[in-house]
Amino acid sequence: MAKPKPIRVALAGQPNAGKTSLFNGLTGAHQHVANYPGVTVEKREGHYEHDGISYDLLDLPGTYSLSSFSPEERVAQDELLTSPPEVTVVVVDSTTLERSLIFLVQIIQLGANPVLALNMADEAERSGLRLDVERMQGLLGFPVVETVGNRAMGMVALREAVARAAASPVQENRLVLGERMDRALEAVVAALPGADADAPGTGTGAGNRWTAVKLLMADPLFTDRMKEAREAGRAALEVARIQREKLEADTGLDIALFVSERYYGFVDGLLKEVTRHASRQNARAVSDRIDRVLTNRVFGIPFFMVAMFSVFWLTFTVGEIPMGWIEAGFEALGGWIGGMWPKGSESPLRSLLVDGVIGGVGGVVIFLPNIVLLFGGLALLEDTGYMARAAFLVDSVMHRFGLHGKSFLPMMTGFGCTVPGIMGTRILESERDRLTTMLVLPLMSCGARLPIWMLLIPAFFPAPWRAPALWLIYALGIVVALGLAKLLRRSILAGEEAPFVMELPPYRLPTLRGTLTKMGERSWIYMKKAGTIILAVSLLMWFATAYPKPSTYQLDKDIKAGKIVVLKSAQAKSAQTKSARARAPKGTRVVTAAEAKNLRRAEELRQSAAGHIGRGLEPLIRPMGFDWKIGTALVGAFAAKEVFVSQMGIVYSLGEVDEKSKGLRSTLARDYSPLVGISLMIFLLIATPCMATVAITRRESGSWKWALLQFVGLTVIAYVLSMLVFQIGSLFV
Amino acid sequence: MARVRDIAQARNVKAGSVTPAMKRLADLGLITYERREYIELTPEGERAARRVLSRHQILTSFLSEVLMMSKESAEVDACAMEHHISDEAMDRMVRFFEFMRSCPDTEPGFLQRFHSCSTVNAELPECPHKCDLRKSRGAEKKPLLSIADLKPGESGRVRQINTSGAIRQRLLDMGVLPDVVVRIERVAPSGDPVWIKLHGYQLSLRMNEARSVLISDAV
Repeated sequence: MAKPKPIRVALAGQPNAGKTSLFNGLTGAHQHVANYPGVTVEKREGHYEHDGISYDLLDLPGTYSLSSFSPEERVAQDELLTSPPEVTVVVVDSTTLERSLIFLVQIIQLGANPVLALNMADEAERSGLRLDVERMQGLLGFPVVETVGNRAMGMVALREAVARAAASPVQENRLVLGERMDRALEAVVAALPGADADAPGTGTGAGNRWTAVKLLMADPLFTDRMKEAREAGRAALEVARIQREKLEADTGLDIALFVSERYYGFVDGLLKEVTRHASRQNARAVSDRIDRVLTNRVFGIPFFMVAMFSVFWLTFTVGEIPMGWIEAGFEALGGWIGGMWPKGSESPLRSLLVDGVIGGVGGVVIFLPNIVLLFGGLALLEDTGYMARAAFLVDSVMHRFGLHGKSFLPMMTGFGCTVPGIMGTRILESERDRLTTMLVLPLMSCGARLPIWMLLIPAFFPAPWRAPALWLIYALGIVVALGLAKLLRRSILAGEEAPFVMELPPYRLPTLRGTLTKMGERSWIYMKKAGTIILAVSLLMWFATAYPKPSTYQLDKDIKAGKIVVLKSAQAKSAQTKSARARAPKGTRVVTAAEAKNLRRAEELRQSAAGHIGRGLEPLIRPMGFDWKIGTALVGAFAAKEVFVSQMGIVYSLGEVDEKSKGLRSTLARDYSPLVGISLMIFLLIATPCMATVAITRRESGSWKWALLQFVGLTVIAYVLSMLVFQIGSLFV
Repeated sequence: MARVRDIAQARNVKAGSVTPAMKRLADLGLITYERREYIELTPEGERAARRVLSRHQILTSFLSEVLMMSKESAEVDACAMEHHISDEAMDRMVRFFEFMRSCPDTEPGFLQRFHSCSTVNAELPECPHKCDLRKSRGAEKKPLLSIADLKPGESGRVRQINTSGAIRQRLLDMGVLPDVVVRIERVAPSGDPVWIKLHGYQLSLRMNEARSVLISDAV
């Protein structure tokens, strides 16, 4: 028996209506959920079974309406038109029905087969709202279900409703928008080119009616599409124009206002019919009281600073504890694996496992607690709804630098990882705002750079200065980003600004499940990266640092020539060594066996592929105070920022066998001055976004031009800044 | 005498849009114009130009001196009017204007009274005489406020959304429609954006957008 094709179901709704939590509730899949408008940007798919039938679920981006002004709106609209799903679940926020149902009206008008999910039913009920769901269902002619997404309540009812809708699609259009509008639409439909063909968007039935609505409203996207249809298209445009002018003259309203009023009129009528008990209490009383303090004109900004600082403090201070455990664990593992070979073994396999795999991956996994805590903190800010307040508070600052208050959100996400941050710039409506935000986004110090700060800050700063130093490096990134944004908006991205009309949802108590899911998911992405890209790059780097081996060693030549004498003793300070040194003739170096081994290692590293690259880079990076070892690690950092850490680990473990127990931090503190540390941190913060960032910028901006501009521009800025800091600093130190 | 390039420069337009205009003028017999040659007015063209120029000057003075428009807007409007007004209307206006100038206006003259009337110039102190004009215009005269004029805690009923394109559509989608009551909850620390409440939900708007939402009265 052939398996029947799964039924295609789409989830549509306004931002922040809780679509994503319904998606998770239906499919059991984990997905990014946030109490903020515009988080679901990507098209996501899931799958579930109900009563032996399988369903493919598609999560559409959240949009306030189906106009064509933002990329998300276009995506949602096209998806529904070009490959109409069998059932469209329209998710609405029950606490803001007047506005949310407008979206339902548009979905009905588009000709979809809807199921209405009245989400956040618990909140609406608490505020005293009682709806007659049965009656609503009867009036609309399709299933209506009450749900509570974040507690996964009403999922069974919703699944059943979807099954019912799929079995018996809605037959008649019960949308009442008035005779005037209907007549105008009919006239436009009749004039559409190929009114009998069924090409999507221009074909029969549903798509046709929607096209007519859009033409009547002079929607730029549909107007352009019509123009492509030549003569016939122009005729349709002409009819639409005549109808529009007639409507406007008859009603004295412009078309956008007229249509909106028709929509609101329908929703008002519907709500009057089905409301059994109107909401009396202010559902947001508590939320409003909190806002009176948190977004206060005086305390708002200080609180915002404290909130951000707390996240970083949590990340740094609390994160140190489990870090110790993981570090000890990896050391034990390395010791155990290393112990399988005889003492002093030079086996390449042992080195590969201990130095390459465990050293490389361990160096990255160690920072997992920081990542988890940072993502946890950000998830809490998002889920409570504070993030939207933060955008409100900082908009005037962002605006001054040519950014949008909403740019703040992708930028905050950028603290986690630049890639989703850049994807999140889709919430911005204007192309220029998007590009500006995208280009400066890598300056938000991402989670992958955190391990670098964790390595370098304690190495170069005394304990009381560590948290402020971390805070400062983040702040520096923000400052440079803002300056750069301003510069971009003044030069290549000059132009008009987009509107700042943003919803401020009430504060919500985050559910433990939601926050943990988000934390877990993002951390898992980090771990996956550690297991794949970083493992691969670590191995590559290990090979590059270990091979090719030099055929002859300068050390051997020097011993032969009598320039270096190697002692059997390993004790550099023993009396024997001292006397040997005293006895040695002038021009001859006396070294211990261990020191000789180090010399040999250092020579191997210099001759290796990585050493060659690093030394090739050295003249270039010298002005910033970097040596060729750092140069080698910088190459690795392009693959993924955190590779810098594992790479430094590999470079030093190979070169300094006996120093290993002392840890990388003290080795760094010994080899480099704090000034080099600062210069290095500045360079790593600003320069060369990682491979993934370059790739995503290319994808999201649609051209290599922007990706390359970002890559080259940031690297040059980093170079100049680091060099200035190092050169000027050198005058004083 | 001028070349296409000079005209383009003087009018601050592209040479490409000057050329077709010149062709049209040449067809009408107002100028002599060959490609890449100097352009000259024909006698008929000169008469037409003088007519337009004197009309322009008369219209500008009328708009600014009698109707009290600013010099700049008077110039702009005169430009728009001079090509379209009929000869008869123009002639009558000239006569009226000449009359105003030459016939002595005894104190308080007609024009002077017109200029000092508070229904004509809103900046003047209120006129003590209760005339019909004041009664009929008084109510409308009150300019519409916008959301931006409200203080936190105040509300207003939306009358008009005075903007277009994406911003307007977004405001409509968010339920900012005529007859809806909007309340200002608070403003950001720097005074921009504002935080508004309507239909039981809350939005933030920049001052720029808030200024385009006109309200009739503080509720």
